[in-house]
Formats: sequence, structure tokens, C-alpha cells
Amino acid sequence: MPEDRSYKAEKVIERLGKKLNRQVVGSLAACVHCGMCTDSCHYVLANPGDPTFAPAWKADRLRKLFKRHYDWTGRVFPWWVGAKSVYTDKDLEELKDIVFGKCTNCRRCSINCPMGVDFATFNRMARGLLVSVGVMPEGVAVVSKDQWEIGNQMGVLREDYLDTIEWMEETIQDELDNPKAVIPIDKPNTDVVYTINPREVKYDPRTISDAAKIFHMAGENWTMPSEGWDMTNFGLFSGDDDLGGSVASRVYDKMHELKGKKIVISECGHGYRSTRCEGQNWAGMDVDFEMESSVITMRDYIKEGRIQVDKSKNTDKYTYHDSCNFARSCGLFEEPRELLNLVTDDFSEMYPNRSENYCCTGGGGAMSMSEYAPDRLKSAKIKADQLKATGANVVVTSCHNCVDGLADLIKHYKLDMKVTQLVNLVANALVIPEEAEVAVKEPDEVETLKGLFAGKKIMVVDDEPDLRVFYGSVLEDNGAEVIEAADGDEAIGLAMAELPDLITLDLSMPGKDGGKVFEALRKNDATASIPVCIITGRPELRSLIYDRPVPAPEGYLDKPVSEETLIRNVRKIFEVGRAMEKQPV
Amino acid sequence: MEKEKVINNVHVRVEVTDITDLEIEAFVYYARSDLKLDAGYGNAITTRGGMSIRKELEKIGNLAPNASLITDAGQLKAKYIIHANGPKFQEQDIPLKLKTTMLGILATAKKAGITRLAFPAMGCGYYGIPVPQSAQIMLEAIEEFTSETNELEEIVLCMLDLRQQGAFLPVFNDFKVGVLS
Repeated sequence: MPEDRSYKAEKVIERLGKKLNRQVVGSLAACVHCGMCTDSCHYVLANPGDPTFAPAWKADRLRKLFKRHYDWTGRVFPWWVGAKSVYTDKDLEELKDIVFGKCTNCRRCSINCPMGVDFATFNRMARGLLVSVGVMPEGVAVVSKDQWEIGNQMGVLREDYLDTIEWMEETIQDELDNPKAVIPIDKPNTDVVYTINPREVKYDPRTISDAAKIFHMAGENWTMPSEGWDMTNFGLFSGDDDLGGSVASRVYDKMHELKGKKIVISECGHGYRSTRCEGQNWAGMDVDFEMESSVITMRDYIKEGRIQVDKSKNTDKYTYHDSCNFARSCGLFEEPRELLNLVTDDFSEMYPNRSENYCCTGGGGAMSMSEYAPDRLKSAKIKADQLKATGANVVVTSCHNCVDGLADLIKHYKLDMKVTQLVNLVANALVIPEEAEVAVKEPDEVETLKGLFAGKKIMVVDDEPDLRVFYGSVLEDNGAEVIEAADGDEAIGLAMAELPDLITLDLSMPGKDGGKVFEALRKNDATASIPVCIITGRPELRSLIYDRPVPAPEGYLDKPVSEETLIRNVRKIFEVGRAMEKQPV
Repeated sequence: MEKEKVINNVHVRVEVTDITDLEIEAFVYYARSDLKLDAGYGNAITTRGGMSIRKELEKIGNLAPNASLITDAGQLKAKYIIHANGPKFQEQDIPLKLKTTMLGILATAKKAGITRLAFPAMGCGYYGIPVPQSAQIMLEAIEEFTSETNELEEIVLCMLDLRQQGAFLPVFNDFKVGVLS
């Protein structure tokens, strides 16, 4: 390593060589500095006197590195071709401010370059190089770590996600006055698996209940996954292909587990691009299911007569903002307009539009980088002028990121406008048939009054008398009728005779072990569908269960099990079963 | 592929699970030098475990590189958290630093009398250490440490997802106990 170069700088240069492919090299080599890109960039248009925002100038900060280290001209005539290296950590920080702070990777310059230079592609690559040595804005670090470790980019914990879904289920049941309107979780073999943006859980759950209402009214056989539900992917913004692969594979793996037919992706530009278009490459996976934007799903429901809408319910004056990733990168611009015209009467275009539309200025992860907010909001003047010229009072967009970006600039420039999404407009326009408004008595409500597990017969199988008493009393306190078995043979006999609603099963028991009992129960038609929750103090015996040629148990707990854990897991098993029974097929 | 094996009488198993929600005696959190519980698992620890953990860390202040320390786990299912300041991103001498960190964690656990311990794939994911490299070093450290002490009964190696597990398991399966040089 040269003495005058920092370790991080050396690593960035080293990794650059591994990232070069035909597309990147083509873009790095082809620029003729014609200036066409400058007129297409909202940063330049809002900062006409500052050349450092020009895409060609920004590109040259990366190009000089390529020339210096990977192009023979730069090695022989560095002074002639502008080849230059990075040496210090401060150089990397300066590069960070350019690639994260002066570009939203919107790709408007890319489609306007006569030489085909895709600046956004190698800007993303440069972000990835810096992230790999830990140089990134704090906001990027936070979101990336959340998505790596919690599985979604807002760090929504599993229990909070499930609680929100439950809350939204209650909301639509109230609104439709119909307890049969449910949001199934992890239902296998559905036609639609609905994936969302964590922003919906955290800040905008109305979009979840609106979508659920639409699926319900369409009679869709659908579910939401308990894991792998985040279709957004911060790897697209941070340039970290490994994160991109991890996030995408969680969605695809869950889809394989559920054996769904189609992923429907809620309205999110970068989520659609990442899950539908880029994720398979990052994850290195082939997928055998369809993927579709919810915009297309909703449009088809209306066109096929699966839902009825009354456009007169949407009374505002609307315009439509094309998300960069949705329109420019994925070509979805006619479908949202078609849907918008089906649910509204007063729609006006903004100009320019479709693939030439300007960025909401919150793209590329910009909303998470507060240090660059002043530049972002200054550049948003272009978007604000565009919005104002439409005369609309509501801007519709099919992207959660754009919702935030637009809302921020609307507030900053004091525009008299609101932002909404197509799912909100479709749900608002829904015509609810009379029969769906008839309240149906929900037996669960009565059961809740008597106890969480009222009316349920639960068999507790364990050779430890103390544990049988503990589990039994916890379950009985919550309304269950409890029967007990102390060994494997007794368990099988009692299960056949009593047909309980659920069995808690120990693995290590004298005589017939839990694995054999489990297999015998699953292979018997009378007991095959009884949910089983394994409770074991011998985790090394898991293979007794999971290596058997029968469906896996519905629950698995390691001892010691607290009262709270037991109740939560038994309740969850019943809830999943109930949701599956209720789902209209 | 096998997901369980015995190393010096310690049951070691690989599992895809949220380490902060695991019923275990103690788990390892890949900490920062300033001991701030930041995003990801740090946020999960604060949310699920309560503010007492954060306050305990604030009193301590800092943690030296490759060192570890133990705190209570508040209202989490685990009793303790071992905070370990391992190597990050592409810093120099990762194998040596990670091995030092692992041995430090195991010593901390031993001192606290912990018998059931969970690790994440150390330094993988956000911090970018390649999974196979981390897996090899983790297993070597576990074998080395437990050859001298048998107090640990169970180690759970917690994977973020199936993809990470898919990269970890080949090393786990190929790891032969008793052939350390």
C-alpha cells in the first residue's frame, strides 16, 4: 500500500476494479462533455451558477479515479486526461457529499444523454464503494442497519407489524360493518401475496386498510406475509448489492414458503424497481411466480368488474406525479393514468411528464439524509413550479418516497396542495354492495368476553407433572378446557378420543418420544389437522420433528416457556387458523 | 445440511431467528465503540428491553476495540447482553481482531457463569465481513475456548435470513472438530 494513501482509500480503489462492467465502463468512457445533461438535472436548474451540480462535473469526480487506476491513458498521460486518485479519508468524505448529496439517482440525465452515459448507475456504484468502507451519511447508515437486521428499512419489529395489521383489520371490519373482512397473515397457496413499504406501517396505515378493503371487495384470495413483507430495498439507494440481495431474497424466500402465485407490490417506485426488476440479480435467484404493481391489480379489478367504483366520490382537481423509478426506470406511466381516469373526473397532466418528469427531490434515499436537506429543498423549486402550474389541489403519485418528498416541498413552498395515492382514491370510490354492510355476528367477540381460549379444548403432553400443571393452569385461566397426557401412547389415544383443538407436545418423553407421537398424529386422518405446538427443553432434538415426512408443526417453543410466551403463541396459532377459515376462496 | 453439531460437549446449532427476541441466557450484540444502541438490533434491544439497558451503557461510556462487556437485558427474553466491539467494514486485520473479539466474548460469558449463549454472524450484514470468513473464525474460537472449559452447554448461531444461513452452513458443515492447528 502506498504510504501516502489511507487504508480506506486503498480499499475503495481496489473494489472499484471489481465493480467495472461493460455498462459502467461505457458510461465512464463515453462522455464528450456536451452539456446536454445539465439542462435535465433539477439540481442544476435550481442552481444555475454552480457547476458542481452538473452531472458531467459530478461524473468527472469518479471518472478521474477510473482513468488513473483502470484506463491506460490515465496511467500514461494522467495530466492530459484528468486522471487523479483519492488519498485521504477527507477525499472520501468529499466524494460522499457529491454522490449522496448532489444527486437523487433519478436518471433524468441518463435518458437525455446522446452518448448513452448512465450517470445514475455509476453514481450508485460509487455510493456502494464508500458504504463498503463505512463512509456514508448517518441516515443511510441507520436505514441500512435497520433493513439488514430487522428486515425492513424502518426497523418495524415483527410484533408492531402484526399489531398494525390487526388494527387495520378491525378498521375495515368497522367501516364495512362486516367481521368477515379479514387481513390473512401467512395463508398458503393464495393468488396474491401483498407486500408493502414499512412507511405504511409506521406513518400511513390507511394505505394498508384501503388495500385490504379493495382485496376484500374483489373477493381476492390473498394474504400478507409475516416476514419478508418489505418490498422496498435500500440497497438500491446505498449501492450495497449485498443488502439488495438480502432484502430481495427475504421477499422471494417467503413467497416460496407460502407457495403464492403472485406478489402484488404496493405503490412504491423504488420498491417496485427493486423487487420486480433488480432484486433477482442482486439475490442471484430465479423466481417462478409473477410480480405486479398494485396499480395494475386495482385497474384490472375495475375493468373486470370485480369491484365497482363511483368516481363522483373523488371531488378534487387532480394531477399525477410520475415516480422516477416507476416511470423512467420501469416504464409504468400509462397504467396509473388509466386507473386515475377510472376513479376521478378531473385530472390534468403536469408538464413535463411520464419519463421526462422531474424528480420529487426526495428520491435516492435523499429523505433520510438530513444534512443535505437545504440543497434538496432548494432544488425542489423546479418541482414546486411544476406542481403550481397544474392548478390542481391534489397531486397523486404511486410512490411512498414521492409522497414524503412532495409533502415536504409543498410545505416548504407553501403550496395549497395535498398528496395522495391511487389506493386511497380507489378505496374512497368503492361502491359497497348492501349485503356487505350486513353485520354478521362474530363468535370471537363472545369468546373474548369468556376468555381468550374459551370453547377450545387443548391437550397438554409432557412427562413432567409440574409443567403439565403450569401449562394447564395458564390455558385454563384463559378459558380453555385442558386435558393432559404424560407419555406418548397416552397422548395418541387421548387425541383420537377427544380430538382437541390444539396440542402442546414435549419431545423428550419415556416410551414413544414426541417425534413419533407427532408423526402418528399427522398421519392419522382424524388428528392430522390438529395444530401442534412443540415445547421442548432439548433443542438438539428438533430433527425428531423437522426431518419427518409430514407437515411441520404450527408452533415451536424452547423451554423454559413463560406464561406470556405460551399465551401469545397459542393465540397466534388459533388466529392464523381462524383467518384461513374465514378467507373467501 | 446439518444445522447442529457438538463441539467439546457444547451443543452448537444454526438457526434463522431474531437474536433480540430469543429465549436464551445471553446474546451478543455487535457494539460500537461509543456503546450507543443504534439502529437495527440496537433499536430492537431498546424497544423490547426498555431504557434500563441504554442507561447502563451510558454509565459505562465506551468500549475498546475487540473488547466486550456484559449488561442486564432489561425486559428482553434473555437475561444478559454481551456487547462486543468487533471489527467493522473492511478494516485491517479482520481475522485477528474477530478472533480476539470472539475469545473475549466467551471469557466474559464464562466469568458471568453463562451456559446458554447466542451469537449473530459476527460482523456480517451491515458491517460487511464475508459470511464464510466470519463463520470459520467463529467456529475456531468456539472450539479453542471450549477445549479448556466445559461450562457452556448450548450456543445458538443466529442468522439474519435464509441467504445468510445458506452462506454459513457450508463452513459449519465442513468444520471438523479437533483439527485446529
